[in-house]
Amino acid sequence: MKVDGTYKKKGGNENQEISVAKLRLNHNDFIMLKFKEITKTFKTDLTAQAFKALDQVSFEIPEGSMVGFLGANGAGKTTSIKIIMDFIRADTGSMEFSPKLGSTRSEIFKKIGFLPERPYFYPNLTGREFLYFLGGLSELRKSEIEQNMTKWAPRFKIDHALNRPLKTYSKGMLQRIGFLSTILHDPEFVILDEPISGLDPIGRKELKDVIVEIHRAGKTVFFSSHIVSDIEEICDRVIFLQNGKLVYDGGVQALLDSHEKKDYLVKIMGHDFTPATKHHSLVKLAGNTTTFLIHRNEKDELLKEILEKKADLIGLELIKPTLEEIFYHIRSN
Amino acid sequence: MLNKLFLISFYTFKEIFKSKVLLITLFIGIALMVITYVATEFTYGTPEKVALDFGLGMLSFSSLGISLFLGATLLPNEINSRTVYTVISRPVPRWVFILGKVLGLSAILFINVFILSVMTLACSSLLGGEINAMTILAIVFNCLESILLLLVVVFLSLFLNTTLSTVVSLFILILGHAIKETQTTTFVKERVYLNTLLEFYHMVLPGFYKLNLKDFVIYKQTLDGTYLLSSFAYGTCYSLFLLFMIIFIFNKKNLD
Repeated sequence: MKVDGTYKKKGGNENQEISVAKLRLNHNDFIMLKFKEITKTFKTDLTAQAFKALDQVSFEIPEGSMVGFLGANGAGKTTSIKIIMDFIRADTGSMEFSPKLGSTRSEIFKKIGFLPERPYFYPNLTGREFLYFLGGLSELRKSEIEQNMTKWAPRFKIDHALNRPLKTYSKGMLQRIGFLSTILHDPEFVILDEPISGLDPIGRKELKDVIVEIHRAGKTVFFSSHIVSDIEEICDRVIFLQNGKLVYDGGVQALLDSHEKKDYLVKIMGHDFTPATKHHSLVKLAGNTTTFLIHRNEKDELLKEILEKKADLIGLELIKPTLEEIFYHIRSN
Repeated sequence: MLNKLFLISFYTFKEIFKSKVLLITLFIGIALMVITYVATEFTYGTPEKVALDFGLGMLSFSSLGISLFLGATLLPNEINSRTVYTVISRPVPRWVFILGKVLGLSAILFINVFILSVMTLACSSLLGGEINAMTILAIVFNCLESILLLLVVVFLSLFLNTTLSTVVSLFILILGHAIKETQTTTFVKERVYLNTLLEFYHMVLPGFYKLNLKDFVIYKQTLDGTYLLSSFAYGTCYSLFLLFMIIFIFNKKNLD
């Protein structure tokens, strides 16, 4: 329904709405999606106590960004995505899509590409029929579907199997054709629910390369995963949920920097060198090398000492925690 | 929007068709021909009646079976396998999705009815039977009955699991055929509360007996136009009401 030039979609709950508004994050970043104070509870049966899957969760997805959605199983990632896609309705809260996507549900969803978690699809349809079906629903002409299929099917290595029924596809092939169907209509906003899970290392690498490619083409990508290293590798922003609550929403690099220990690992050939600096510790003696841990402030002093004593420096490395370590730390706290 | 409705119906039809469900129709058709041949050897004077009786019976049995078992899994399968997400995440309103699914399955029903009708009428004609308007009407009413049952089972599958929705729909189908005869028994007539209960049931749940013209065809009984028209209107209105309710509830339903 149209309300004051804003598309509002009221669902099972009067407090939920999907509206379009021009919002600014920082500088000139437009917001592709604003998820505002969403709460969702589930009840398994009438007598059971309600389980809160999402508790006042708010986050923003800037236009053109690649956002990773992290959290352990049951953290609320899929529930959030289902609310974004209007499969389920939130108890309270609201959502806003960028006006760039359109002003009606039909216009907005025409520019969204969505891949559900562990998709099965229709087993008796062939890959080609399946793509014609979904392409048609996305209002593509037959020639456009054919053109995009020709472009992407070889990239996903499923061009040889397009005339086979989907029930003969392996898990990895289903994931790849699912991904192809997601980007077939060249969406502006791509939402992927665990797109890389269940793939072998080569399949994961290939799919990540395509995700990066579509992001570089200017698309906004939002994908959930419980594999932290994948998010660290390709995302510029990360949203972290734990037990239905937002733990972190911001840049990946900013998070890594904020948890940097500011210590260095120094590797010296031989076992004779002992630093004169106050804040150092021996980490290990391995083979014919000695490794020390030293504070950042004493780095220059140590390097000077190494030069003076003509010790054989073979390595100097700033210790950076991985995103995975940071999230383990956050979770354990 | 019509284009999307057609696409969903077409690919639903294609998916079910490729699952080889219509092989059942083929087996029944072969059985019909075999039984008709056997009937010509063992029945005295009325083999065409046996062919028609058996043909219409099998027609009804197979189309109601398809409605019941495929209807019960039509939506739950879509939700469990998350295929519904790949469709409604596109610019497709939920009502188009559900209507397309129902139309696609209805097309399978029509094909089943068409094949078995042609075979039944051919067998009956070959044995000297005549094809009259009542026979054609019986087939049309059978289609309507199957669609009504399909909508009942799809409606129930919005709340119940597959097994329960199948069992409850079968129960409603049996009661819907038996209710009229039951109301005429002395046992019911003597008990006011039971009669009231059946009257209430009659008002709320579908009276499938109204759409069963098979006995009238076999025993060449006549029916007046008003009865036929009111029965057809009853079946159509009840089906449209159920379809409206299915769309209304599916629009509100959480697909988790």
